[in-house]
Amino acid sequence: MRDYAVLAKDHVKVDALEKVMGTAKFAADYKMPNMLYGGVFRSTVPHAYVKKLNLDKARALPGVACALDYTAIPGKNRFGIIFKDEPCLVDDKVRRYGDAIAVVAAETPELVQDALDLIEVEYEELEAVSSFERAMEEDSPKVHGDTNVNVKKHLEYGNVDEAWAKCDVIVENTYSTHILSHMFIEPDAGIAYLDEQGIMNVIASTQNAHYDRNEVAAMLGVPQNRVRVKQAVTGGGFGGKLDISVQLHCALMAWHTKRPVKMVRSRSESTMVSSKRHPMTMKCKTGATKDGRLVAVECYMTCDAGAYSSYAPAVIGRAPVHIVGPYECPNVRCDAVFAYTNNPMCGAFRGFGVPQAAVCHEGQMNALAKALNMSPLEIRMINAQKVGSVIPTGQKLTESVGFMDTLTQARDKAAEVMPEALERLTQD
Amino acid sequence: MNKITVRCTVNHKSVEVETAPNKRLLDMLREDLNLTSVKEGCSEGECGACTVLYNGEPVTSCCILAGQAQGADIVTLEGISPDGKPDAVQQAFMDSGAVQCGFCTPGMILSAEALLAKNPNPTEEEVKQAMSGNLCRCTGYAKIIEAVLMAAQRRREEGQA
Repeated sequence: MRDYAVLAKDHVKVDALEKVMGTAKFAADYKMPNMLYGGVFRSTVPHAYVKKLNLDKARALPGVACALDYTAIPGKNRFGIIFKDEPCLVDDKVRRYGDAIAVVAAETPELVQDALDLIEVEYEELEAVSSFERAMEEDSPKVHGDTNVNVKKHLEYGNVDEAWAKCDVIVENTYSTHILSHMFIEPDAGIAYLDEQGIMNVIASTQNAHYDRNEVAAMLGVPQNRVRVKQAVTGGGFGGKLDISVQLHCALMAWHTKRPVKMVRSRSESTMVSSKRHPMTMKCKTGATKDGRLVAVECYMTCDAGAYSSYAPAVIGRAPVHIVGPYECPNVRCDAVFAYTNNPMCGAFRGFGVPQAAVCHEGQMNALAKALNMSPLEIRMINAQKVGSVIPTGQKLTESVGFMDTLTQARDKAAEVMPEALERLTQD
Repeated sequence: MNKITVRCTVNHKSVEVETAPNKRLLDMLREDLNLTSVKEGCSEGECGACTVLYNGEPVTSCCILAGQAQGADIVTLEGISPDGKPDAVQQAFMDSGAVQCGFCTPGMILSAEALLAKNPNPTEEEVKQAMSGNLCRCTGYAKIIEAVLMAAQRRREEGQA
């Protein structure tokens, strides 16, 4: 192998020294003179109109600098990475448990809690849409607008309808994956302040500083050059810190109080309102010839995407094109429907829907192997994508397809370290 | 609320801290003493990010009231190498790629220091046991365990030299 300057060499991570010495500054470690602490008043119901909201007692508490609802927002009250469907503070209705209704800034974290406890709210509750199936029924309440369909995708490659006749074996199964929290070890945190030039500065635990800047500017109704966002050293994200967390609320309160405002989420608040992995149900029909070659795959993929879109339009773009996995298949159809519900919002999570699809295609490969009385390893090797394979998007793979090498090396390693298991795996 | 005075040793220096009686040791260290290497991850003693050494034992400082530090000897990551140079454990964490996001790192290093102070030649099983109270969400534990074993070996070699 060529001798590269960086590749194939050990390197000490650029910020490892600060991290092992304890000097790395995470968002919650920032302190500023005259700083306020912020907190959020959140809904305790999943779907409701807010009939009354009383912030007077919270505002009257000594030490409270501001208590704000959506009427305090100078610019736009809708944000979201792809569709702008999430409010900074609830204006029309609550769409999930934990929706932000009001924010409070005070001199100490204890006063913030006291003030939040003084906020009074009255709801007119609506039926909560809590499953994909209910969301799709005609008489279900609509979470946004007049349909609960969040996004749809259709993938068509080859001729699936004609292909079934060429199959010697067909397996049909339904796979479900569950909702999942990233559980990054650092709960979301941030601080916002206006500098001497009147520019809004936000330092946050984030994976998406440029996006954050755009949203803060839109919410404040100022040009983007009036907002600066700095990513603090960030304690894990895995996709869960691509969405807005505390950035808008900190900036809104700093804007009104003209003081720095810091927010640090508790573990429970972070887990409650951060995005989740999309739970998917995949009803899949897979056909092959008797010698194990894939002929057709057809999948109907549904998902409860939760109350807001977040990265759903991106996830639904990825999952269907990966429904055959790393295997060659000349006829593929996948229909995907993601629905809005009143459940937690789903977003980016390591793989954008591809790990969910893997549960389905690997399950189907095992089912086919069983039906054909072949070994699970052999059927994978027969169908493995390689240089020259065409994938269901029509793209021809022209370079570096490592799957076959991976399978071979895994087999050889298994022969060395777990021969009994390999024997079971390769038995016909 | 009336304040209390906590007298203890923090990072090898005697300190006297006026603090609120409902504060946790975690808050006292982070807020009153500005020792921000002590991280708050879960607030219930589960993740180990707030680990400090309390009379040499690794403890989760989110589950200890500040008043309980009265008379104790407390060490945070800031107190491990006061000369500003990484010690064997810190260096091994860097060299073996055991640091990713870095949020669990302070607690990991302190748990490792506590182990090696008592057991300079631990087995891999003993390392796993000693680190079992510290959660990492990025790297997995292989490199962390490797780092602790590497640090132990380097210390033993230094001792012989």
